[in-house]
Amino acid sequence: MNNLLALPVVLPLLGSLLALVWPRRADWAGLGASVAAFVAAGHIGAEVMRNATLELAVGGWAPGLGIALRADGLSASLLLMSTLVALAAGLYATTYFAEAQKRADFWPLWLLMITALHALLLSGDLFNIYVTLELLGLAAVALAALGGSRAALQAAVRYLTVGLLGSLAFLTGVGLIYAGYGTLDMVMLAGRVDAEPATWVALALMTAGLLIKSALFPMHFWLPSAHANAPAPVSAALSALVVKAAFYLVLRLWLDVFDVALSQASAGLLGLLGASAVIWGSWQAYRAERLKLLAAYSTVAQIGYLFLFIPVLLATEPGEARDLLFGALVLFALTHGFSKSAFFLGAGVILHRAGHDRIAELGGTARALPVTTFVLALAGIALIGLPPSGTFLAKWQLMTSAIAAGQWLWIPVIAIGTLLAGAYVFRVLGHAFGPGEGVGPSLAWARAELPALLLALVATAVLGLGAAQVWTMVVPGSNAEGVSL
Amino acid sequence: MLSAEIIYGLTGVGLFTLGLRATLLQASLLARILAINVCGAGVFLMFVSIAYQGLAQMQVPDPVPHALVLTGIVVAVSATALALALGRRLRESKDE
Amino acid sequence: MNPLLWMLLDLLLAAMLLGLGWAAVATRDLKRGLALFIAFGLLLALAWARLRAPDLALAEAAIGAGIAGALLLAALRSEPQDGQPAAAPSRVFLLTLNLFSVLLAVAIAWALLSALAMGDGVRLAQAVTEHLSQSGVSNPVTAVLLNFRAYDTLLELAVILSAVLGVLALGPARPGYRLPGPVLYGLIRWLVPLLIVTGGYLLWVGAHAPGGAFQAGATLAAAAVLLRLGGVDAAGLPAAVVSRWLLAAGLLAFLAVGLLVTAFGYGFVQYPPDLAAGLILVIESAATLSIAVALALAYIGGWPSRRAQSGSLHTHTTEGGTH
Repeated sequence: MNNLLALPVVLPLLGSLLALVWPRRADWAGLGASVAAFVAAGHIGAEVMRNATLELAVGGWAPGLGIALRADGLSASLLLMSTLVALAAGLYATTYFAEAQKRADFWPLWLLMITALHALLLSGDLFNIYVTLELLGLAAVALAALGGSRAALQAAVRYLTVGLLGSLAFLTGVGLIYAGYGTLDMVMLAGRVDAEPATWVALALMTAGLLIKSALFPMHFWLPSAHANAPAPVSAALSALVVKAAFYLVLRLWLDVFDVALSQASAGLLGLLGASAVIWGSWQAYRAERLKLLAAYSTVAQIGYLFLFIPVLLATEPGEARDLLFGALVLFALTHGFSKSAFFLGAGVILHRAGHDRIAELGGTARALPVTTFVLALAGIALIGLPPSGTFLAKWQLMTSAIAAGQWLWIPVIAIGTLLAGAYVFRVLGHAFGPGEGVGPSLAWARAELPALLLALVATAVLGLGAAQVWTMVVPGSNAEGVSL
Repeated sequence: MLSAEIIYGLTGVGLFTLGLRATLLQASLLARILAINVCGAGVFLMFVSIAYQGLAQMQVPDPVPHALVLTGIVVAVSATALALALGRRLRESKDE
Repeated sequence: MNPLLWMLLDLLLAAMLLGLGWAAVATRDLKRGLALFIAFGLLLALAWARLRAPDLALAEAAIGAGIAGALLLAALRSEPQDGQPAAAPSRVFLLTLNLFSVLLAVAIAWALLSALAMGDGVRLAQAVTEHLSQSGVSNPVTAVLLNFRAYDTLLELAVILSAVLGVLALGPARPGYRLPGPVLYGLIRWLVPLLIVTGGYLLWVGAHAPGGAFQAGATLAAAAVLLRLGGVDAAGLPAAVVSRWLLAAGLLAFLAVGLLVTAFGYGFVQYPPDLAAGLILVIESAATLSIAVALALAYIGGWPSRRAQSGSLHTHTTEGGTH
């Protein structure tokens, strides 16, 4: 019995209800719940580092009849990232939404979305995961529409319909699994699963649903408009956390549950889609005219990198080499989470000051908003994958493992993606440091800039220099000295 | 002889696919919402057919899929409500 | 009854489901599609009854066909009737889509048949039967929903809440209806109390027979829908400040119980066996109110217009001052 595991779900949910019934205290309820959830996630992280895997049988019923919550290194590290990003973005939201009414609308929905994310990361049950996906989807759509503009509403409608189809595909797969194996618990299932027609079709349906939700190329079409038109704190969470939750589930299913039923060819297909996403997303980000659209397309590309890891992981023999690569994957996901949320918050600061986020008219930003420009540069370093960011280590490890596995194709993809990322980041910085008055008079420092700065520092410095900690957490007992800087 | 779980299970598969097809084909939001609901009903029918298979051994159907479908029905109506509200707001913004 | 006759009836019902489902989504005429969809929902309720799922038959009639139908009808009322004749899809797209649909259907059917053949159909039913006596209720579906898999239901209440909060955040409600004629008025005067009593009954009976919080909540919401159709703009809902509490009540009760038991050494949402029946009833009663208010607000499409302002902070402040 480990009731600690329920807290990252219960605390934001409680905060949401308090913000609902006391709208005037919504900020306090929201921030309080966010801090509490962060503390709980920290405890879970520490416990996972000591005991490897935690489990809570909710209601006291054995997994199978009941639902189990589980935390291992992967879920605990993503949980920690989620609580930190949510805290920073929530803090920014208190300055982003000037009207109290908007914040009273924002907080309950935001905390429901965070509840769903944490419930998803901790869930050990396939149907329960379906419920968390729906909760995540509905709350995210409602938040994405909060801006109220026509473009935002259109994007939200598409986000909703596409997301619902994805959920239904996932649910169909869950039904087939239950029919064939008589359980919804993922650990029990992993022990029973066989290479059967029902398994293949179920896995294909669940994966297809999750690929739509994680916006893997070519199912990314709904993402740029939804992420670019949402309020900035919401965009940050959508890009950094929500799409990654779906990726996390793909990883969980492919590596932990269905690995017996998988062929190298199907993993190769995921890799090819990932490679296309890297090239296409980076190219579209380079061509984007607006800062938030650039960030959204950059997410398409970065999700692509995450999928590149899967064929290489499955081709690597279990052991130290695979642990190293797995740690690199988590490091990549964490770094992207922090850097992309920092980037979106920075874009939000600029959008608020300038009234627009057209990249070509960003001249003078470096003078007017030095801190935010610094944020964009730091986040950019992590998005490109320059040292000392975690992305640098992760890409390095991915290339090493790809070569060892004989999967040479991914090397040029990573190289082109990195060059394009450099091009789109420096295009933004080039305009920002250029002459102009596009963003108004200069400002030494603003409270709104602090959350973005913290996130960017975590992405670039903390995760890069503390990468060894990530490996210890993800792969308990691993010897990570070879990879720390 | 075809057993009930097979007849209704396959009907569920049919409804799922025809709902999916219509969702991808329809242009108006309301028609899409109808199609998604039909698609979902197909999935639910698959679950309940799976439950019905338990009748032979247990004398009653498996209650777990029933509970899951009840959850699914409530989720579907929630999603429908949100989608319709978004559609209404979108139409109003067109008129403005 | 003769098994062959059963099979023929099953095939007939299946064919009608497929036919109505197809007709509902294939038509360009939304009004027609909606009427067919509601008929489809009622037929589906029949299928649930046939498959010995009475809890679902009730839920489908109350929620699937009832509330969803009301929501869709209300949406149709404000939908421009001329409709935008969508550009006809290209032949290539249509062909690809049809091919994809057929292949997908074949693949899922193949998987479903082979999955059904893999087991004897018992799955978790055995475990539910064995533990039913410890669950506090005797209706196995309620036992799964409120005890064995109560955590799903907790999150499901959060799903309803997030949808209705999304609706509320989108802006004020649509205008209500004019006062009805005497016949409708008389009908509503009769039906509303009947629905409220039925809702209470469904809630109570759910512990040992088909029914429960979701069916009960939807029935109460149906009463609200009728009131609104009868010209009562607020649909019987209390002031916004109270409605907010009612919206939260189900989840608050769930969390309160779930956390309170941990103080006595139990796990999260682990009911002490002796108290399970009572605790489940507390949770279900609160959840019924939340579901009813949430569905009613979703139907209205925002805070009721008569106190459109009281949903916002400003009047809320003044209201708070007078209390």
